Amino acid sequence: MKPGLYDMAARQAMTRRRLMQGVAAMGGAMAMSGLGLRPAAAEDNLRAQILAIPGVGAGSPTDADWQKVGELCLGPTRANVAEGEFAGIELTFMGLNNQNLHNVLFRGFLKPWEAYTGAKINWIDLAQADYNPRLQQAIATGTVDFDIIEMGAPFEGDTAGKGLLDPMPDWVKDQIEADDLVAYLQPPVGTWDGKTYRITIDGDCHTLAFRKDYFGDGGIGGAEMPRHWEDVNAMSLALKGQTDPLTGLPAYGFLDPLKGWGGFGFYFLEDRATAYVKHPSDPAWLFDPDTMKPRVNNPGWVQAIQDVMDLNAAGAYPADQINADPGTTAFQQFLAGTGAALTWWGDVGSNARTSDTSVVGDVVGFDINPGAKRVYNHAAGAWEETENFAPNLAYLGWGVYVTNRVSGDEAKRKAAWSAAAHLGGKDISLWMAAYPSGFQPYRNSHFIFEEWEAAGYDRAFVEDYLGSNRDSYNHPNAAIEPRIPGIFQYYSVAEDELAKGFAGQYGSAQETADAIAAAWEKITDQIGRDSQIALYKASLGM
Amino acid sequence: MILWGSVALFLIVGLLQALQAGGHLDLGFRNWRPTLYAYALMSASLCWAQVLIRGEQGKRVLFVLPAVLFVLSLAIIPLVFGLIIAFSNWNLSSPLGRQFNGLDNVRQMWGDPFYWNALRNMVWYCLAILVEYAVAFGLALLLNAEIRARKFFRVAFLLPLMLSPVAVSWMIGKSMTEIRFGPIARLARALGWDNPSFFGTPEMARTTIMLMDAWTYIPFMMIMLLAGLQAIPKELQEAAKVDGARGWRAFWEVTFPLMLPVSVTALMIRLIFKLKLADIVINVTSGGPGGATDSVTSFIFREYRDRSNVGYGTLLAIVYLVFIIIAMLGLLKLADRWLRPQT
Repeated sequence: MKPGLYDMAARQAMTRRRLMQGVAAMGGAMAMSGLGLRPAAAEDNLRAQILAIPGVGAGSPTDADWQKVGELCLGPTRANVAEGEFAGIELTFMGLNNQNLHNVLFRGFLKPWEAYTGAKINWIDLAQADYNPRLQQAIATGTVDFDIIEMGAPFEGDTAGKGLLDPMPDWVKDQIEADDLVAYLQPPVGTWDGKTYRITIDGDCHTLAFRKDYFGDGGIGGAEMPRHWEDVNAMSLALKGQTDPLTGLPAYGFLDPLKGWGGFGFYFLEDRATAYVKHPSDPAWLFDPDTMKPRVNNPGWVQAIQDVMDLNAAGAYPADQINADPGTTAFQQFLAGTGAALTWWGDVGSNARTSDTSVVGDVVGFDINPGAKRVYNHAAGAWEETENFAPNLAYLGWGVYVTNRVSGDEAKRKAAWSAAAHLGGKDISLWMAAYPSGFQPYRNSHFIFEEWEAAGYDRAFVEDYLGSNRDSYNHPNAAIEPRIPGIFQYYSVAEDELAKGFAGQYGSAQETADAIAAAWEKITDQIGRDSQIALYKASLGM
Repeated sequence: MILWGSVALFLIVGLLQALQAGGHLDLGFRNWRPTLYAYALMSASLCWAQVLIRGEQGKRVLFVLPAVLFVLSLAIIPLVFGLIIAFSNWNLSSPLGRQFNGLDNVRQMWGDPFYWNALRNMVWYCLAILVEYAVAFGLALLLNAEIRARKFFRVAFLLPLMLSPVAVSWMIGKSMTEIRFGPIARLARALGWDNPSFFGTPEMARTTIMLMDAWTYIPFMMIMLLAGLQAIPKELQEAAKVDGARGWRAFWEVTFPLMLPVSVTALMIRLIFKLKLADIVINVTSGGPGGATDSVTSFIFREYRDRSNVGYGTLLAIVYLVFIIIAMLGLLKLADRWLRPQT
């Protein structure tokens, strides 16, 4: 779980009365298990037991807690590995140390695993900013010096696509109960050319966060938060000149970030565009899979860019929006009481009621991203006047992968996969979803709200916030990130061209989109069109 | 014998590793460290040989030789590698790796509007140095005068220079100019600017970046000029006074000409700092709006870091280096001519 989210939930949850409710509910759940009403009684007990470590509201978990959880969740490892089987084997694990999470937790979780199996793990900890260059340089210079890596799915093109990863053995799929992953993290995510490489440990998506006090009876934004981008724009234009009900300052509608963010800013134009261009009958929405011709200048994308340009031209954004990146829209604007709505990752939800600078905690609501009243069918080359929703599953979350350094040594290979499987296990993942870990829920079993409530969480919050994540993950027309080499190069150069378009240096949205398409063509040619086509198709499972 | 032996070892190891890198041999080398160690051994042998062969003269050479080898290793050789990369198509995401592509990168640069836009912006940024110089000179004159709390002001005026440009970016560019609650925005509203915007238009954004950069580096020029002012013999100014030169005339006819050498030095060093402008731009505007604040370095940063376009990014950096060297040599020549009649 994101640390902020945990703090917020803990604050809400731990009244004495609620604690007693939680204990009673958990007792009830255990009693039901005892009566044989639940088939997996031992598993339920384990899940309730680890959720009680250290207990919601009992302070931040420590290394001792991580080790306890790791020890309790060793069952699947014991079933597949004999005690001491990996004695003498050393593995190197490269991952992040953001906010003292990620690798820091993994160390604790894997200590009991090391003690049981006899293997030893050496750690390479990286700050987020160092991660990308370190990985890219290791790949480009042929100096991969790690056996296990924590990595985002967008890099699968750079690694699996170049044969640097080891395919997952079947026994690992069974151990981690991969069928439990939410729909969008099922293959083709984590697979390449039909082989599976990833143990998912995180989920990511953009959801809509909006101000409930703008809407409803007498609300300045209308009866309810608009569900389509066309209406979102109309709402934003209508709010111009009105006063924010919370702060008494000028009211604004939807907040688009107009400045780049190292490539990550492009996800926010995607939030608008996917509704227009992600046709339910077509998995591709950024490129043509057969030619790698960009679709970014088709009428659907142009409409999304035009929507932003319209609001910009009408002065519907706060002053200086041209210099606002996604960090600004989320933390300096929306959470500080500026604007009616935005789309973002889970951090907005987790900070809304815990951050000292947030003033919108009591009036924030969540939903899946808005849709559109029409969708562009790229295959037919025509608009279809039909409602379309396509939540943007931006970034696809973190996973654990094993590199091909271990492929030639069967014992070492088994050890590496066993360590990775321990981190991606079904039960340990529930603990990571519920306590500060840096990871969001990503399994269907993470959305059993009764478990959260029994552990002491606030039911209403869990249903609202996590529900929007769940509905995005499982949406049948969700827009899934293309996992091709250099995907952030495409995003980064698009940000530069969009900045020119938003600053009025191009004549129209179409001209801006054409400039992006031309720049993308250059990147494709530089990386290699044929290989990109093959890898793009592989990433789409085609 | 030792020297030639170590040279031969270096050449053999380097050649074998190059052959392995080219795929002609497989000797099991896992990295280039053997060549590095052979190079270090050859360098040490070279130094040792100087003493053995040349005696006392060799000991004198030993004072300079390590520095020469150091510069060769860390500046010249990397520059040669940089040139090789600059004429290569090398995108870290490409499965093809680095490929020599002749003048393709130069042609791409020639038609790259972002690069030329950044160069144009650099001209504006560099011209702002003249204004910074005037302000710095004024402050230096003020602090050189017999004013109260002179020492306090000297330290206070130096404070911005002690701040990291990244800190300045966040404190001023992100917080103080924040349009709703930022103190500068509030002040602007109090002064009658209804809807203050510091980065909303290209001109305003460029001006704000210039002001932030100037605020950081004016103290540097000021302190250099102040040192120059204090080095001017008092007798000269007193003699000018006796001759009737006061105020502006005394400054223009006496102080300013005497300060020219210091001024040229301060301007040159400031120019070098300015040409490296990147951190404030990257942190505050990312080069926007629409490239209006982009510096060459911030553009290269995006090309290299965000797009892993190592070959093209290196070429841009090399071309920029050539521009800088030509411009600096030209300016030094001009300054030399300008100063000569004064002496």
